Amino acid sequence: MKGYLGLDIGSISTKGVIIDEKKNILASSYLWTEGNPVQAVKKVLVELEEKIKDRKIKILGVGTTGSARKLIGTMLGACSIKNEITAHAIGTLSKYPTVKTILEIGGQDSKIILLEDGMVTDYAMNTLCAAGTGSFLSSQAKRLGIDVKDFGKIALSSKNPTSIAARCTVFAESDLVHKIQMGYEKKDIIAGLCYSVASNYLNNVAKGKKIKGPILFQGGVSKNIGVKKAFEDLLKTEVITDKNGHLMGALGSAILAKKNSKNEVFDFSLKDAIFETNGIECKGCENHCEVIVVKKDGKKIDAWGNRCEKGMIKI
Amino acid sequence: MKTIGLAKGLLYYYYHVLWKSFFDALEVPYIESTTSTKKIIELGKEKCIDEACLSMKIFLGHVEYLKDKCDMILIPRIYSIEKKEQVCTNFNALYDLIRNLYPTLTLLNYNVDVKHHHKEKEAFIKMGKQLGFSTSKSYHAYKLAKQKEQRYFKQLEKSGEKKLKTKKTKILLLGHPYNLQDEMIGKRIYNYLKEKNIEIIYSYEMPKDKVNEEVQKISPKVHWTMNKQLLASFVYFKDSVDGTILITSFPCGPDSLTNEMILRKRGKSKVLLLTFEDLNSDIAIITRLESFLDMLKGGIHL
Repeated sequence: MKGYLGLDIGSISTKGVIIDEKKNILASSYLWTEGNPVQAVKKVLVELEEKIKDRKIKILGVGTTGSARKLIGTMLGACSIKNEITAHAIGTLSKYPTVKTILEIGGQDSKIILLEDGMVTDYAMNTLCAAGTGSFLSSQAKRLGIDVKDFGKIALSSKNPTSIAARCTVFAESDLVHKIQMGYEKKDIIAGLCYSVASNYLNNVAKGKKIKGPILFQGGVSKNIGVKKAFEDLLKTEVITDKNGHLMGALGSAILAKKNSKNEVFDFSLKDAIFETNGIECKGCENHCEVIVVKKDGKKIDAWGNRCEKGMIKI
Repeated sequence: MKTIGLAKGLLYYYYHVLWKSFFDALEVPYIESTTSTKKIIELGKEKCIDEACLSMKIFLGHVEYLKDKCDMILIPRIYSIEKKEQVCTNFNALYDLIRNLYPTLTLLNYNVDVKHHHKEKEAFIKMGKQLGFSTSKSYHAYKLAKQKEQRYFKQLEKSGEKKLKTKKTKILLLGHPYNLQDEMIGKRIYNYLKEKNIEIIYSYEMPKDKVNEEVQKISPKVHWTMNKQLLASFVYFKDSVDGTILITSFPCGPDSLTNEMILRKRGKSKVLLLTFEDLNSDIAIITRLESFLDMLKGGIHL
């Protein structure tokens, strides 16, 4: 049986899926990146191999997306290395062909994608600031001493969400501390945080965009039912979350891998190879480009980051 | 003869042809700073307050680079170039700012403030005087320089026209020339798009005499002269290009107003806003550019 592997290596979590030729998900894996994308991908590969080992599947293509797409794509010899917007749109469309709006909040990025007849017509991403993204929520959860996974449940138990300024993470933190000291209930503060994430998103990333249904809410933050409910209240319409919502990017890149497949069989033993990466500051000129060199079993396989020939590294 | 230093940042990109032609006509030697590098930004950041925009930091970096390499540096003070309008407050303050940062540095004065009756011509005559030339000599050099500048504008206009005729995907890069042409800002976008075989049109490649007419279609009154040109350029090109990329340096005041106006009034045109700070990683920019190009292609058909 033929299969294709898609990987979405984000700042917070790493997702992997294997699909068959009809784009059905055969196996999936989802775990924390923990600041080490290479290690996380190895773990994902171990999990995926375990899940499909009884079903003679040949992986004929690898696709990567997410912020570490280039690094992992190079390591695994991927046939498709694509940005998150395209990967998410393609993944979601394969499951929901009529979707008009995709709201996505990830670890450090948030984006909105508008579609019409299965084509991306407009999109926006947060520009410089990561306020209101997953990393913001998890750091606030830590401050309140609760697990980010329980965040949604606690939020739903609140009847009276406190309003919290979430325009800027730093302001939100001081507002949060202030509210705690004033004596607000924890659950109300948590619900307030969920609302502020949703309204911050709608006022920044989604500003000026016509949000039409069906609306899908994706990304790690979509697992938080508190934020989902906040979106539904603010948009006054139903927001769909898929149980595989976090896998859409990986699914999209698997589909792209299928499309670009060179029909070479991917070998899972690659996970046992020793990959090393190091950043070298090129001293060729005053730009001091950071050149990333990737080594496999001690042999250089690729390097990038240089702006001119002076920083070129011979492979 | 004293050597003049020209810092490649901010107003340099609006006036370099005029200034250089003027000095050429008077046979005054001048040097230009290098293209921007990471080092230049670092130098500028050390001298600059945090809140200033990236372009200002880059400019100060260039001044820092030049200060020991020439006898005097041309630092313009421009308050207004059209009667009822104003330019960015950084351009108002630039001269005083540099004078206070570098008390021992000799500055070449250049003051244009049309609102308060200091015309460009007088600025050049005064500049000539400081260099030891008579009024008539400076005036003559200014006239020659002005002719050269006009020819340069015509060239830009023609290159814009020519680019519009190609069958390739066309993208309008909209922003201040000092951002579009900077090695650390606009050139990064340019290099990426060139690699993808895209025709790049710069916002300043529109006919200058159509600015006031075109801008009326989007807003009847724009207080900021340089941003008025950007708005006009957007209206002028939007229907003949496939997409527009707004390039802005954080935190630019006038741009924050006009970018918003463009985003709200763009209609069906595709617009991408890229904001530059000193620590933009290439991958973040490429993610946005790549997905923008995918969108222009109408998505990937499976």
